[in-house]
Amino acid sequence: MTKTNRTILLSLLVLAGMASPAWAQAAKSELTVALSSFSAETVDPALQGHNVKYYLSLMFDYLVGTTPEGQPSQAGGLASKWESSADHKRWTFHLRRGVKFHDGTEMTSEDVKFSLQRAMGKRSTTGYAGPLRTLIADIETPAPDRVVIVTKEPTLIIPTYLSRSLSTEGIVLPKKYIETNGDDVFARKPVGTGPYKFVEQVVGSHIKMTAVDNHWRIGVPKYKNVTFRLVPEETTRIALLRRGEVDVADVSRERVKELEKEGFPIHMRKEEAIIHAWWILGPDGRTPPTNDKRVREALNLAIDRGEIAQSIFGGYAEPAAIPMGLTWAFKDVGFKVTPDMMYAYDPARAKKLLADAGLAGGFSLDVYAFQLPGFPEGKAFAEAIAGYWEKIGVKSKLIPVDYPAFRKMWVDRKAPGAVGYYNIANRDWIGAYALLEKQGYTPSKLNDTVNDPEVDGMLAQVMRQTDREKINALMRNVYTRLRSEHHGLPIVFVHSPYAASKTLGKWNPGSVMYDLFLDELARK
Amino acid sequence: MLRFVLFRLLQSLVALAILSVVVFILARATGDPLHMILPMNASAEDYANARAYLGLDRPYLQQYLSFVGRALTGDFGTSIRARRPVIELLQERLPNSLKLAAFAMGVSLAIAFPLGVMAAVRRGTGVDRAAQIVAVLGQSLPTFWVAIILVEFVAGRLQWLPAGGADGLASYVLPGFTLGWFVVAGMMRLLRSGMLEVLDSEYVKLARLKGVAERRVVWVHALKNALIPVVTFAGIYFAVLVTTAIVVETVFAWPGLGRLAYDGITSRDFPVIQAVVLVTAILVAAVNLCVDCVYALIDPRIRYAR
Repeated sequence: MTKTNRTILLSLLVLAGMASPAWAQAAKSELTVALSSFSAETVDPALQGHNVKYYLSLMFDYLVGTTPEGQPSQAGGLASKWESSADHKRWTFHLRRGVKFHDGTEMTSEDVKFSLQRAMGKRSTTGYAGPLRTLIADIETPAPDRVVIVTKEPTLIIPTYLSRSLSTEGIVLPKKYIETNGDDVFARKPVGTGPYKFVEQVVGSHIKMTAVDNHWRIGVPKYKNVTFRLVPEETTRIALLRRGEVDVADVSRERVKELEKEGFPIHMRKEEAIIHAWWILGPDGRTPPTNDKRVREALNLAIDRGEIAQSIFGGYAEPAAIPMGLTWAFKDVGFKVTPDMMYAYDPARAKKLLADAGLAGGFSLDVYAFQLPGFPEGKAFAEAIAGYWEKIGVKSKLIPVDYPAFRKMWVDRKAPGAVGYYNIANRDWIGAYALLEKQGYTPSKLNDTVNDPEVDGMLAQVMRQTDREKINALMRNVYTRLRSEHHGLPIVFVHSPYAASKTLGKWNPGSVMYDLFLDELARK
Repeated sequence: MLRFVLFRLLQSLVALAILSVVVFILARATGDPLHMILPMNASAEDYANARAYLGLDRPYLQQYLSFVGRALTGDFGTSIRARRPVIELLQERLPNSLKLAAFAMGVSLAIAFPLGVMAAVRRGTGVDRAAQIVAVLGQSLPTFWVAIILVEFVAGRLQWLPAGGADGLASYVLPGFTLGWFVVAGMMRLLRSGMLEVLDSEYVKLARLKGVAERRVVWVHALKNALIPVVTFAGIYFAVLVTTAIVVETVFAWPGLGRLAYDGITSRDFPVIQAVVLVTAILVAAVNLCVDCVYALIDPRIRYAR
């Protein structure tokens, strides 16, 4: 063997030795999840909204538990039961006894009160801090295992607001630990009551957790350690999956068939989000020409939703019909989407409607094109809808921006009539109501996209109503009105695929927004 | 020499001062970070609260002076996005970037040196042409494409090397090669042309006439003198590799400075943007200063020209 050949052989042996890192060789007491985005990467629940729940749900418990299907569960939260007074203004939560934080202190009603006050505080940026500030009058702690939330108005919404099915306001935090160490220390070394303890966070890389000895909800966790790895590039996530370095990875819809062929189980979160577009309002509401109902209907009829579902979302999408209508909420309130509500692809009728509205020659329409987390197809989608509108004579101008720039135009109302869109996470009826209160209710001003007094009146009643049947009827009427007035452009519901390793076993990622219920996977 | 160093140091400080103003203005020109961190239903009051809490409600001049004053003590503020001190984020990321850049530089030196020398010695032969092809490919193939191909085939299909992360020596190979290959091209060309010039010089001819072995002539006498521009190039490129590896860091999920900068820009995280740009500038200025000093030491004409 020549000297050169020996050198090459030696190099190959060294490389082969390096090729299998420790974490690929370790026994599967580890669970590694690769995600394309960690959102804000904060581990303090008061500093972020829903989209950090993927990892926070393992470290913390919620006051009100939720099943993976999104139903309230007395077995899954720190409150083992709850009830309201006859006037629905006092909500009493009975806390589980003997639950300890990771630092060994016992969880009590004082922690619940502290956590809720913190979630509603000035510093909080959680998704529903605003509505809770408006709603809650007082928080009482008559006993260590009992907390009473007093509301200003009668309401049914409190348990859901504080549950795992919505945002992070219901997460219970350690009062003593935070008061002793301060917010900054807590944000770096969080302490909760969840089945996994925080170990390490390297921003932009990973979050590591280790199991508690025994958790009140899932017992001894199956995996000793759980690591969330931030891997923005999909090719890399899939390579990691193939190498056995990760157990779960979010993948795009276009890679699903290929991975299935290779034998990787795909867990599909059905109808995880609706792709919904809307027209930005002006300072005084809708502006011409989209203040004309016929124009709004024409723009809806011009879009071939079936083709978009196939060509842009790889067939993993279903046409949508109701502006801001969420299918998980439809089940709760008994709303049925009838065949006549579905928008047929009918460019001829769209043209006629435009002609009836005096716009036979078309008009100019700005379409903002941007990508969003979980919606990498954003720009292709914008190009597609602009293309459909061109076919009926609407001169669509695509404006590439990033989402924050669009959001500024939207909330500042600086581009009235222009089109934007969002991938709105599917959710239950209260979550759907909260969404409508954000985006369909005129008094919410900044984010309103509808500006319809009739819708406003019904939404105002939902908040005050305590009869569930009446709430259901109001919600059904809201959806009917949104559809009949064409108050938006519901396009498709998308299914979101998660690829798993071949050895992962049975897993139900559930249907709660931004939560994969990985703790259920850790249940032995 | 001291005068020369002090003058260059002063130039660097002036450049950094100007840069601090530019980055302060440009970071704010990208938009309002509150649109990223506040929920959709945030009220005007929520915006005002957050602005006050983050110190963004103060006049720009006050914000700038506060930024510069604290930066001089190594405090770059708190990340708006991650809500952690920026200096901590830099401490986590900068070593990763330095290590990756060092590895990539090692890869490029290991490839460029033999290729450059062989190409010069065997000018016009197949070896020369092959070396030129390697160089052209290194510069012309898009880095993201090379990175994706390596991840897909070497890591994903062949499973020879890790696909991502900064965990162990093996994880350096693919990102290091991707970055290093790009540098190989320039370095090899410089070395080749330097070697051609030196190999044609009188003292090399004399060495040959005196019967010095060809291997010694090439690798000792000629290479030493062809190295000066290559050292300069390597020094400058090292700083560039540390700070501009955004694509490679993204594809290989490498927690380095480039991705910190990218995340900072996309989330309007002013403190992070400012800190990364300043640290990058300091690094580049320091490397340039070192290179200038080395050059001045080697070639006295440079310091006398000053």
